[in-house]
Amino acid sequence: MTARLAPLSATEVVSQTGPNSEHPNGHVAKPGAKASQSDDPQAAAQTTFQKCAVPFVKKYCVECHGNRKSKAQLNLEVAVRKPGDPAFARKWMEAIANVNAHDMPPDDADQPNDDERERFLDALAQVKYLASRDPGPFVIRRLTKVEYGNTLHDFLGVDAAIAKELPDEVPGEGYLNSLSSMQTEQYLGIANAALHQMPAEAQKRLFGGKTADVREIARKLTRIAYRRPPTEAELDVLVKVFDLGTTNKLDRNAALRLMLKAVLVSPQFLFITPSKDAPTGEKIVPLDDYQLASRLSYLLWATMPDAELSKLADEGKLHDPEILRAQTKRLLADTRSRALFDGFGAQWLGLDTLATKTFDAQKFPQMTPDLRSAMYEEARLLFDSIVRENRSVITFVSADYTYLNRTLATIYGLEKKVSGSDMQKVSLTNANRGGILAMPGVLATTSFATRTSAVKRGIWVLEQVLGQRVPPAPPNVPGLEKQDPKKVASMTLRQRTELHRTNAVCANCHKILDPIGFGLENFDAIGRWRDKDESGGPIDAVGELPGGKRFSSPKELKALIAARQSDLARNLTEKLLAYALCRQLDGYDHIIVDQMHQTIAKDGYKMQTLLSEIVMSYPFINRRVQE
Amino acid sequence: MSTHLINRRACLRGLGASLGLPLLETMGWADAAKGKTSYKPPVRLAFMYMPHGVIMDQFWPKSPESFLKSPPPALESLRPILNQCLMVKGISGVPITPFGSAPHALELSTWLTASLPDAAKRNQIHIAISADQIMANYVGGLTALPSLELATMPQTHKENQEGLNEGYYSHCSFRSPTQAMPAEINPRTVLERLFGKTDQSGKTSATDPLDRQMLDLVIGGAKDLRRKLPHGDQQKLDEYLDSVRSVERRIAAIEYRQKEAALEKAGVSSSKRKASDSPPIEVKIPEGDKRSEYMQVMCDLTVLAFQTDTTRVSTYIGSTPNGVSYPELGFSDTHHGPTHHNNEPEKVRKVAAITKFNIDQFAYMVKKMASLREGDGTLLDNSIMMWGSGLEDGNKHTRENLPFIIAGKGGGTINTGRFIDTVKGNQGDLLTTLLACAGVPLDRPIGIATKEIKEMMKV
Repeated sequence: MTARLAPLSATEVVSQTGPNSEHPNGHVAKPGAKASQSDDPQAAAQTTFQKCAVPFVKKYCVECHGNRKSKAQLNLEVAVRKPGDPAFARKWMEAIANVNAHDMPPDDADQPNDDERERFLDALAQVKYLASRDPGPFVIRRLTKVEYGNTLHDFLGVDAAIAKELPDEVPGEGYLNSLSSMQTEQYLGIANAALHQMPAEAQKRLFGGKTADVREIARKLTRIAYRRPPTEAELDVLVKVFDLGTTNKLDRNAALRLMLKAVLVSPQFLFITPSKDAPTGEKIVPLDDYQLASRLSYLLWATMPDAELSKLADEGKLHDPEILRAQTKRLLADTRSRALFDGFGAQWLGLDTLATKTFDAQKFPQMTPDLRSAMYEEARLLFDSIVRENRSVITFVSADYTYLNRTLATIYGLEKKVSGSDMQKVSLTNANRGGILAMPGVLATTSFATRTSAVKRGIWVLEQVLGQRVPPAPPNVPGLEKQDPKKVASMTLRQRTELHRTNAVCANCHKILDPIGFGLENFDAIGRWRDKDESGGPIDAVGELPGGKRFSSPKELKALIAARQSDLARNLTEKLLAYALCRQLDGYDHIIVDQMHQTIAKDGYKMQTLLSEIVMSYPFINRRVQE
Repeated sequence: MSTHLINRRACLRGLGASLGLPLLETMGWADAAKGKTSYKPPVRLAFMYMPHGVIMDQFWPKSPESFLKSPPPALESLRPILNQCLMVKGISGVPITPFGSAPHALELSTWLTASLPDAAKRNQIHIAISADQIMANYVGGLTALPSLELATMPQTHKENQEGLNEGYYSHCSFRSPTQAMPAEINPRTVLERLFGKTDQSGKTSATDPLDRQMLDLVIGGAKDLRRKLPHGDQQKLDEYLDSVRSVERRIAAIEYRQKEAALEKAGVSSSKRKASDSPPIEVKIPEGDKRSEYMQVMCDLTVLAFQTDTTRVSTYIGSTPNGVSYPELGFSDTHHGPTHHNNEPEKVRKVAAITKFNIDQFAYMVKKMASLREGDGTLLDNSIMMWGSGLEDGNKHTRENLPFIIAGKGGGTINTGRFIDTVKGNQGDLLTTLLACAGVPLDRPIGIATKEIKEMMKV
């Protein structure tokens, strides 16, 4: 069986066939609220599932994926009995993709007719409405390196770069890295260095006067550092540390510093932890205001809550929807919200690898650290403008302005217009430019070290911009490098890629991927405009999107993609929600995304609306109580 | 081996209260020497990795007979110590179905686990404890550092083929099925943390004398928090607390070593060393960014850690299966590119050169170990050093005969100076055999293992 690219991704199928009505469970409603009976998508989904999915599974699937045989560890006989069970949510998503792509049932098995197939897909697309309300767990999470540095800065007034020697995190679902003991020792080293660097003013602020009560000092320190009120037991420990110091003949200040060091290496500082036990008997509870403050602050600022957020948490006011919304707006307006780009935006656009990506030094001597950092800044400033000016998220594709300095202007051929090393806003008159599709940083990271890759760019557009899932290439497929060099010497990259596509195994995916990449072939591997490729042949940027929309230049491709407003906004919503929750989205989350999507669409896809919908969303403000 | 082996976990957990004692005196091979005139140095085990396989006809010896006299080109730099090396052809890798489209995500992560990730939890780390960590669990309590994990590249690759967690691309050491061990890439950090060396500004990374007791209070205080957390979170917290405990241990170890050094200066000889033993090697951190120099300093750190018995287990990911290029060899393309060479001479030449480059660095390390006196032999005599890759032929992603080289006699347990091409076994069998040679008892075979490969062992 070969992996094939579905013309429509699972999520697209979902969005097109889901009921139009708003789900009756308002997502800021109290946990456990019951769905109203009128216009019940859950009942509709149940009926459709019984009518269309169950017979299909029996007829075409269970022979291989049933009780007797469970190929790929998939037993649909169990799944059809509890279709809404979160354990099967992903399986159904995969089933949608596989059946839609005609990968399943396999070629040598009985095939459903088109109508059966369509009705099955339609039923599966509604399975998410069978998921029970579930905000997911609130898993304790270690601060990332960046968050840790920022938090030390806000707490002690030291340079955030103090944490730069900590290892980088492996990105993944949430944040799963473990620490080696050597790395743990780095935390101790950093704590020592931070105490050393701490300005006298900060020490005075934290330690108070000469006669201040040690326990009260500890209470003040931990309220900030643990981001919640400490327990009395936690204060006992710190007072013991202070006593350890004085017993060993440290003066008061030195003993207080030892106590502060204990705070810095405590798991309560490195992890965001709950302040109270979960109430017994409850399955789903709202986050307490302290957790909420941390979650919000680390999402938008990558640092600890400031005084205002902390005060609202102390007063128990933060979960009030109006206040939460206002705080979101306030945090976004602050310059610290650039953290959202460094943490999320750069990862989304793939620019986090730009600084270290290898480029052929002979072919692209321009790719200096200066140029790379200007490329990164360009994307950051565009992202920032969309957030702060509350523009529509479509601007990511259709922007008619960008930010350049002289170094980067050379890539645009605008070096006569832009001078100096500072980034400045530049209006773009050439509609082939502007937006993330035509941005040098993105074009460079989706290229190889020596040449462009229509395939990589196509995948990037589908996955990162339109939110589709592109299956990996099957093993042992020859790449372009394998083509007979003599035969292809005078062919353009497009011609060579198309030759590759004459192979039936490859054609299925590439007929969708490649045209998008071809539409961007006018940009070379570091984002400069060109009319001819390396072979000397003219660039042919004509292509077609799935669904038959034709384009013949980057400008037209951009316009076609920008017109897919709903896909763009939904993709960004999903990616941001997953980032905000530090986990992959599952069953019930998709219902939430549907609801958010409607609100966002009504408001013209404004970026701040999208962000505030995420902060107000059911899984962001609630948590499942774990065993 | 010493009979006073202490389980690492028991050791770590129980230490808090007794940390005031010079604990190393009760640990490791120091005690074996007491009251005896001779002692047996411990066996060390190290792994060094290169991705993407080799050019087979330049790597495999032509025959067992020709191995010593005319070794294959890839092994040229090992020629002076080939009689202390062992090669075996016939060890297959882990079959990667159902992850057929992710050969490179799995070559490294299956290498020391001989296991596949759990398919149902593929987006998380869920595989198996790795061989190096099994040994660390057994002997790690005897040294300042349970194990050493080093890498040349940051472990931050992003690509999730087959929906596999990205950590699988760049990690080979797993402390538990769900915990990937991060590797250190900064040689200065290793040098400072492990050996208390001074940094450039002349500042030592000296720890505060009260730190140890302070950490102990912090760990004790976390119990209350732990009680409040659900099971999964407790595990995360424990992991952190465990590593804080090992920081306590290492502070103790460094203090102990400093005391020993002071005693030696005063003319009192160490219980652990023989007078004829070579002094600890000097490690110099290179200034530039030359790959060979960088890799050699990582090799030096391994040698120093072994020589000073700072650890007995080390894993060095010399290179990872993602976007690594070799500017020092004049190649601007990535390692992966030319491995799909389809027998084009230019690409074959590049892959062969990259392979030789990697083996050269390994040879640098083991030759240095062969020159260091320890006990009645050399440091290499008491070690098992394995270099290898997780694929045989990068062109076709095959893993029929995993390429690897073993150097060192493992304290007399490994039968070296030979090329064996008559055994059939798998990666799990190989790891099981190596741990047996290192004296680590196993309560179950490693991954897909079914047996020990007796042919490799000295009976």
